Amino acid sequence: MASEAVHSGAHSGVHAEAHEEAHHELPARVEPDVTTSELIATTEANATGVRNWMWILGALTLVGIVVAFVKVLIEWSDQDEWGYTAAMVAFLFSAFGGAPLVAIAGTLAKGNWVRPIARFAALCSLVSIICTIWMIPLILNLPMLVVDGARRRSIWFEGPDVSPHIWALVAMITLIISALGLIYAYAIPDFAAMRDHSTGWKQRFGAWLARGWIGTTVQWRTMRMRIGMMGTLYFFTFVFVHFIISTDFAMSLVPGWRDAIFPMYHAISSIQAGLAVTVIGLWAARKYLGLEKYLHLDQFWSIGRLMFAFTLLWGYFFISAFIVFWYGRSGSDQMWIDYLILGPYFWVFILAMLFIWFTPWWWLIWNRVRRSYNGTAIGAGLILLGVFLDRVRLYVAAWTVPEDRIHERFLTEYPSTVYPDVMDIFIMVGALAGSILLILAATRVLPILSIWDVQQFNLLYRPVEYMKTKVSLIGKPD
Amino acid sequence: MSKSVLGLYNDPNQAADAMDALKNAGFAQGTFDVLTGTPYPEGAFGEHVPQHRLFRFPAFGAIIGFTLALFLTAATQIAYPLVTGGKPILSLFAMLVILYEMSMLSAVISTVVGIVIESRLPNVNQGVYDNRITEGLIGVVITTDDDKADTAIDALNGAGAMEIKQA
Repeated sequence: MASEAVHSGAHSGVHAEAHEEAHHELPARVEPDVTTSELIATTEANATGVRNWMWILGALTLVGIVVAFVKVLIEWSDQDEWGYTAAMVAFLFSAFGGAPLVAIAGTLAKGNWVRPIARFAALCSLVSIICTIWMIPLILNLPMLVVDGARRRSIWFEGPDVSPHIWALVAMITLIISALGLIYAYAIPDFAAMRDHSTGWKQRFGAWLARGWIGTTVQWRTMRMRIGMMGTLYFFTFVFVHFIISTDFAMSLVPGWRDAIFPMYHAISSIQAGLAVTVIGLWAARKYLGLEKYLHLDQFWSIGRLMFAFTLLWGYFFISAFIVFWYGRSGSDQMWIDYLILGPYFWVFILAMLFIWFTPWWWLIWNRVRRSYNGTAIGAGLILLGVFLDRVRLYVAAWTVPEDRIHERFLTEYPSTVYPDVMDIFIMVGALAGSILLILAATRVLPILSIWDVQQFNLLYRPVEYMKTKVSLIGKPD
Repeated sequence: MSKSVLGLYNDPNQAADAMDALKNAGFAQGTFDVLTGTPYPEGAFGEHVPQHRLFRFPAFGAIIGFTLALFLTAATQIAYPLVTGGKPILSLFAMLVILYEMSMLSAVISTVVGIVIESRLPNVNQGVYDNRITEGLIGVVITTDDDKADTAIDALNGAGAMEIKQA
């Protein structure tokens, strides 16, 4: 077991000391029995408040579902009426689907800071179930590969007529299985803890899902392996689903839109949004579930730096696509700029760019912001708003192209701006509420922070004196 | 008739000593194990670290999925010979998306199955156990014949067990 000093707890100088004392105290260790009892108690914490929120979210979800049924009845065959639903599904998948990568990357890289947040990040992948349900009307509204006797442009070069419909669904089901596998892989020891220390139905539920886990050498060893494997499989499925969604549900619907970078752009902004969702979830958990003892500045600081890096990467990916179209100057290149940037969604693009890139860039660039709980959460909120607007710009524009123009070499007349109607707003709010409700419901069953992960954090971590400062000494098992 | 004996320890060093004591008392590797509520670094207790075959599951799954997808896409292209963009009827690039997707689906499913099998779950014969292990206590458990149980208990007590349980 190697050990290493990973960060300093104070700098020299009175001012620096005061600053560090205020912003960068080293976390205190917590005894394992306290960790177990306190984290299991979080499934009951603030029960009234959480229950009220769950009722509100449940009502909004229900209204969204009812409105969606009404929309199906009266606007079923109007593809352009489903643009905002497509944008919302793309946003939810981007934001919540990207969050588990925080846990996966951190765990695979053996980062100690990621331990307390891995559970919440993994739980976010549950939203893939909501996305799949909301994708059903979209899949049914997606044009067939053969339109008016000719094959439209797509990635399904020699596939049957319903290839995008079937394979999009298969991709989402693969993602759901990976997500559930990842969550379960992380959670078995915590189900055992619930079996041992909960009461009532939670105790029975924990006993059933723990499947006789007692923490033997074989069980821990295989658990490490399965987290690594499920994480890797989730990542590979995640990038593939981005490829499918971004091409089938956006790019192939706009004649002349050919952008090799777009699926990567989609995935990168999804990871950026996933980091932001993780920050907001942890910020809320810390504030409302009393988890200050377990969620430290180190987690926010580390994710803040990653968010900053991905914010800059958004600029890189956007400009990499833009410069090709800008200098390409062919009809389809010009169409991309005129329709998706300068066209009917120009102001949405400007706002999206401001919130996804420019504002978080100049907000998260400051160390003081990244070293604060609220500052990081504000940056995360800006990014989520930006990613949502970006998905609106792309997906609403794509879904409003009339089907009878799908064979054009490139779009020459641009559909005018489509604003969300009342039904769109209810559906979007319902889908978002359903996603939050699902995660909130999951935290009523499983602790929002993984018990065994937090215990291992405390096992391998020691705050120690080093010359005139304090440092974290962290054991890294190889 | 075999018996399961569990020694409980507060201090990980004592648990490591108990593992040594059992080894020195002549018990074979694999008959005793350490139970913890959190993963300690491998080998921290001097325990026997068994090999696993978990990596085989996604590999086999991916191969099966890839083969099925290859059959599906090739058969489709042969059954409906559409020349697209002047490319050959059997075009690998047109198959890649489905090859990847089916490989992933099959790998994911087989990994989930592998997790259950390799984790020895469900563990129907749980043996002796204590709920406090998930609160930080460390258990050293041994399954042995009735006539050797006392030797095992002596070894566990000798290392400073705070409690001994039998089943």
